[in-house]
Amino acid sequence: MLLSRVAESLYWINRYLERAENISRFVEVSEAMSLDCPPGSAEPWLPLIDASSDRESFDKRFPEKKPDDVINFLIRDRLNPNSIISCIQLARENARQIRDVMTSEMWEQINILYWNMQEGETIWNKPRQEQLSEIRRECQLFYGITDATLSKDLSWRFSILGRLIERADKTSRILDVKYYLLLPSLDKLGGVLDELQWIALLRSAGAYQMFRKAEQNSIKPNSVARFLLLDPIFPRSVRYCLDGISNTLKMIDSAPPPENPSELECMRGLLKAKWSYIRIEDIINDGLHEAIDSLQIDLNKLNDLIQEKYFIN
Amino acid sequence: MKYMFSSYRPKNSFDEYFKDNVNSAREILIPLLSSLDNMGLEELNRNHSAAKKLLLRHGATFRLNDTGLKGTERILPFDPLPRIISKDDWLILEKGLKQRLEAIDLFLDDIYNSQNIINDGIIPRELIESSDGWRPQMIGFKPPLNKWCQISGLDLIRDRKGDWHVLEDNLRCPSGVAYFLENRLVMKNIFPNLFSGRIVKPIDEYPSYLLKTLQELAVWTDTPKIVLLTPGIFNSAYFEHSYLAQEMGIQLVQGHDLVCNDDYVYLKTTSGLKRVDVIYRRIDDDFLDPLNFRKDSCLGVSGLLNVFKAGHVALANAPGTGIADDKMIYSFVPKMIKYYLDEEIIIKNVETYICHYQKDQEYVLENLPKLVVKSVSEAGGYGMLIGPQSTSSEIEEFANKIRKNPRNFIAQPTLELSTVPSLCDGELYPCHVDLRPYILRGKDSWVSPGGLTRVALKKGSLVVNSSQGGGCKDTWVVGK
Repeated sequence: MLLSRVAESLYWINRYLERAENISRFVEVSEAMSLDCPPGSAEPWLPLIDASSDRESFDKRFPEKKPDDVINFLIRDRLNPNSIISCIQLARENARQIRDVMTSEMWEQINILYWNMQEGETIWNKPRQEQLSEIRRECQLFYGITDATLSKDLSWRFSILGRLIERADKTSRILDVKYYLLLPSLDKLGGVLDELQWIALLRSAGAYQMFRKAEQNSIKPNSVARFLLLDPIFPRSVRYCLDGISNTLKMIDSAPPPENPSELECMRGLLKAKWSYIRIEDIINDGLHEAIDSLQIDLNKLNDLIQEKYFIN
Repeated sequence: MKYMFSSYRPKNSFDEYFKDNVNSAREILIPLLSSLDNMGLEELNRNHSAAKKLLLRHGATFRLNDTGLKGTERILPFDPLPRIISKDDWLILEKGLKQRLEAIDLFLDDIYNSQNIINDGIIPRELIESSDGWRPQMIGFKPPLNKWCQISGLDLIRDRKGDWHVLEDNLRCPSGVAYFLENRLVMKNIFPNLFSGRIVKPIDEYPSYLLKTLQELAVWTDTPKIVLLTPGIFNSAYFEHSYLAQEMGIQLVQGHDLVCNDDYVYLKTTSGLKRVDVIYRRIDDDFLDPLNFRKDSCLGVSGLLNVFKAGHVALANAPGTGIADDKMIYSFVPKMIKYYLDEEIIIKNVETYICHYQKDQEYVLENLPKLVVKSVSEAGGYGMLIGPQSTSSEIEEFANKIRKNPRNFIAQPTLELSTVPSLCDGELYPCHVDLRPYILRGKDSWVSPGGLTRVALKKGSLVVNSSQGGGCKDTWVVGK
C-alpha cells in the first residue's frame, strides 16, 4: 500500500535526479566537443538549451548568449527550474516529504548531494568536468543505493517509472540536438567533424563504448540513431526504457481488465509495440525529428495518465 | 587538576561537573573527565565539527518559522560534553514524573467529565474555562484506556542548590525527542571512547515503546494501522516527525492524505482508501479539524473529531490536553497530586504567582525586575519577560500588558539554572541547561532514561529554546 502523495514524490525524485544527471552529460560532452570545433563552425552550446526546451526563458534573460551563460544557466542557475541545482533541490524537497518511506541511506545520499551543491562548497572549486562527473556519480550512487536498499514493492516501482520516463525523453533529446540543430546542412554529413560530433553525442548519452561493442563499423548517423532509439539491451536506449516502463506499469496494476483496457493501459501497450517493431530506415525516411517529437508528446501523455490514475485522488 | 579544564571557571550557579572549582569534580564525573582529558581540547573541537557534519548529513535540521526567509534551514547546535545524571537521582525523577503524569491524566479525565476538582473547590471553574487549552467539545468524552496524554515531555531544571523542579508541563505535541535520540547516535559515532568502561543507560527503546503505546490505543483491533500526522516540511519539527515515522515503520501523512467518510478515517493510496486506526498527531488541536476547531485550517482533516468521538480512531494525544499545560494550571499540579493520589509531590514546582489573583498581581507588578513573567498561552520562549535582563521601558511595557490581561500571565522568581561545561567558541564555558524527559503512557508508563538537555550556548544566556539560539547535549544516566 502506497500513499498517492508518496508515489508521486518517488516518481519525481527520480525524474529530477535523472534530469540532473542528463544535463551534466549534455554539458560535459558539449564542453569537450567545443574544444574540437574549428572557429566559425556550428558551436555546440545553444542546442543544449533547445534540447531542454528552455530557449525562450534563456533568450529573454541572456540576450548575449555567451557559452558561459549557457553553462551557468544549465548548472547553477536557481531561476532556471531545469538547471542541475534546481533539479537537485526539487528532488531533495520531495525526498524530505517522504523520508519515512525511503531508506535512511537513500535520504542521506540525496541530502548530502544537496548540501554539496550549496554556495561555498568545495565542488565549485574543481574544474568543470570534475564538477559534472561528480554530480553524475552522486546521482548514480542514489540509484545504486535505491536498488540495493529499497524493498521491491510499489515504492520501488514508482521510482523506476520516473527514472525510465525521464531517461527515454532525454536520450531522444540528445539525438535530436545533433541531428536537427548541430548540422543543418546535409552536405557536411560524413566529414571528420561530423564523426567527432557523433562520438561526442554517444558519449553524452553514456553510450559510446556499448555502441562500439554493438556495431563495430564506422560511425554512421543511421547506426547511432538505431542504437540510441531501438537497441533492445542498452539501458539508456528509448526502446529499453519503454520496455521497462511497460513492465513496471503492468506490475503496478497487476490485473488490468483485458477486454476493456484503460487509456493508460492502451498507451503503455501501443508505445511498447511501436518502438519494439519499427525499423530505423522507416524512422529516418519519415523524419527522425518528427519521430522524436511524437515520442516526446507520447511520453508527456503517459506522464499525465499516470498522474491522473495514481497521484490524484 | 585536569589540564583540559584548567581555565574553566564554574559560575555562581550549580555546576553539574564541579562542586566549586576545577579541583573538586563531582565523583560521578571523574571517569569522564579523565577520558576527556586524554582527548584534549583540540581533538574535542575537531570531532565537534565532524559531529555537526554528521547531523547535517542525516538531515537533523529545522527551519525557523519567524524569519520569513525560505530555506533558512540549520542543525540544532549540538554540544559534545555530555550531561551526567546518577542512576540514584534518576530513579527519584522517574518516580516523580510518573506520579505527576498520573495525576494530570486523572485531572483531564475529571475535568472533561464529572468535574469533581471544581465542585470540591480545589480549582476555580473560571480558570479552567478561560484557558486557551480548554476544549468544551470534549466534555463527556472518554478516550481509549481513559488516557488523554500518551506522550509528554516535561521541562525540569536544577536550582542553585541542585534541587530539581518542574518548570513546565508540555502535554500537547512536545518536540525534541528526535534530537534526544540523534544526539546519542552522534556521540556513539564520533566520541566512542567516552563511552568505554561506563554503563550509560541506553535510550534506543523509545521508538518501540512509542509504537507499543500507540498500538494499545486501538482497542478494537489486533492489527492497527498507525500513522503520524505532520503539518509538513515547513514545520520546524518536521525532521522529528519523519524521523519517528521512519523509526517506527509507520506512515508519515499530511492532512490531505486523509479523509473522513461514514464515521471512519481513511488514507488515500494508489490502490484506493484504507482505514486508519491510530493517529499520532503532531498538529495542535486548533488545526486538527476545520469542521470542529479552526475553520481556516488546511493542515487537518475535516470531521476527524467526530470519528474520534465515535470511537473509530484513536488520537494521541487526545484533543483538550492543553488545559493541563496552561502555565497557570501548572501551579495547581501539587494540589492535583494530593487530591487524586493523596501523595506529596516528588519533584517540586517552581513558586508561581498568578496575575489573575489581585494579591499576586500586586506583588508581581512591584517586583518585576526580579521576576520572570510568562504568557500562559505561548511557548518556545516567546511572550516572556526576564526581569533582571530587561530595561525599565521593557518592564513598563510588560506591566501594562499584565494590567490589561492578567489571566494571561504568571510570574516566577528568576532561577539560576544549573550549568554544564560546554564548547562556546572553541573554549569550555559553563552554560545553563534544562532537561526534557519524555513520558509515554499506554497500558503502562515508561520514562526515557535521561532526556533532551537543552543548553543556552550563548555566554550568560538563560534561554535554552532552540528558537532562541539554544542547543542540546546528550544526557547520560550512569550507574549500575
